Amino acid sequence: MTSLETNLCGVRLKNPLIAASGTFGFGREYDELYDISCWGAISVKGLTNLPRSGNPPHRIAETASGMLNSVGLENPGIDAFIRDELPRLASRGVTVIANVAGSDLDDYREAVRKLSDTETAIIELNISCPNVKEGGAQFGASPRSVGEATSAARRHSSKPLMVKLSPNTADIAVAARAAEDAGADAISLINTITGMAIDVRTRRPVLANVTGGLSGPAIKPVALRMVWQAASAVSIPVVGMGGIADAEDVARFMLAGARAVMIGTANITDPMAGPRILAELEGFARTNGIADINELVGALETS
Amino acid sequence: MKGDFVARVISNARAAELVSDISLELPPEASGIDPRPGQFAHLSVGGLFLRRPISIAGFDGESLRVRMIVRNAGRGSGAIASLEPGESVRMLLPLGSPFPVEDLAERRGKSGGAKKIHLVAGGIGAAPLLFAADFIRALNEVRGGIFSVESFAGFRDEASSFGADEFGRAGACRLVIGGLVTDALEESLGRGAPDAVLACGPEPMLEALQGICSANGIAAYASLEARMGCGVGACLVCSRRARAGGGAGYRRVCRDGPSFDLSEVIFK
Repeated sequence: MTSLETNLCGVRLKNPLIAASGTFGFGREYDELYDISCWGAISVKGLTNLPRSGNPPHRIAETASGMLNSVGLENPGIDAFIRDELPRLASRGVTVIANVAGSDLDDYREAVRKLSDTETAIIELNISCPNVKEGGAQFGASPRSVGEATSAARRHSSKPLMVKLSPNTADIAVAARAAEDAGADAISLINTITGMAIDVRTRRPVLANVTGGLSGPAIKPVALRMVWQAASAVSIPVVGMGGIADAEDVARFMLAGARAVMIGTANITDPMAGPRILAELEGFARTNGIADINELVGALETS
Repeated sequence: MKGDFVARVISNARAAELVSDISLELPPEASGIDPRPGQFAHLSVGGLFLRRPISIAGFDGESLRVRMIVRNAGRGSGAIASLEPGESVRMLLPLGSPFPVEDLAERRGKSGGAKKIHLVAGGIGAAPLLFAADFIRALNEVRGGIFSVESFAGFRDEASSFGADEFGRAGACRLVIGGLVTDALEESLGRGAPDAVLACGPEPMLEALQGICSANGIAAYASLEARMGCGVGACLVCSRRARAGGGAGYRRVCRDGPSFDLSEVIFK
């Protein structure tokens, strides 16, 4: 029998599968289809201090093997999350990762401070959302601002801090080191890659926001490469994501250096992705004689 | 109860130009579902990444057959419209908030007696309203004529029209070819306003209908369309602005809708 248990920043996860932020809401909807506590953890919809209504339609465009989204961080705000969503999730036995976005350093400080005295297990710092016009994209783009955002959050967080890196940067290894040096307990990557779609009939961009974030299998090769480069550059744990659709993908990211993975877009095309991939992972481990799933972490052979 | 099931295509008949009337059979494990008019199914289409939301045009609980009427209007709908008998399609259903037929059944009618429901369909919008017509007809049989139904179905031309006969089985049906179906509805108000309107069709039609219903104090519900992601309300890509309380906010077409109180919908 394979052990799928892993440990992320001192938090025990029953398995290395985490539902990615933005694709899972606060778990309510998928809980109607299956028991969401089967996930190792759930990273909730990105939260901001004040509620945000998000961008006008269209917020989605289909691409080859993927999709673009420009939701614009529509969320009820941190206070509503702490009051209306977190207690329910905690009582369901779900390990909650609170994904937090902000427009400036004060935003991050305040958000992190509010969450510190709650049942949130880990805070995931979203510094890379490319859809927020007032500054979100800027933090993730340069190592200096990655470090600034991380430091600001670090000082106010008593929870483990995981920094979600943007791929829209010149050197992911440098960005990863910047987060580590500034005190991140872990990093997660990659967030979406900035992209665009054009409607030839209307001669307009498909997305109201013009650009959006590309996700899904289309970005997997880029994500794998970046996870591998980042994991090679830091000693803090790495959570990998980007187009994961099945257990073999989970194994790929773990081999590249990820201790756990996040699965997002796959939920959109397959509502049962969570329990399916978990069952596949158990089967994969059995078939390959893996006693402890953690033996895959960083086991990529490049010689 | 809802779930993701592999359905088998039983038949695909041409309903009109570019419009296919498809029957699909769900497997036994789907026997607990209870789709209502206004709800939709999220179909996985071979070769395309995202699922496509398609209104449920009918459902038979005994045979577990789902009816879909689909217009070939793009890659996704085109692939669905050309499904052949024997093919398999994965679909998540039933999704969304349906037309509030049960709610309407509980309300007092304007004139006592049967409540007058008008169905207003524009083009392929007739699909969910055919389900509504059939559902109301069945409800009438069980609850003794609780509703009277009148349908207004508008199509661009004769070749694209479908469903008039079926609407006619639920009550009077006014078929409008080439003109504005909302004009026909407005004329009918002279014979007495309905207790409620259920509508589905192009946005300009719904916007015009909103004006007519608010001017005449008629409760109206419209089924809206939107590009969707997850279809269950988690990803927020299908959000659309609607009035609520004193202000306005975004509502998810896949979950807070597709059926909305028409007076609350904000048209650009």
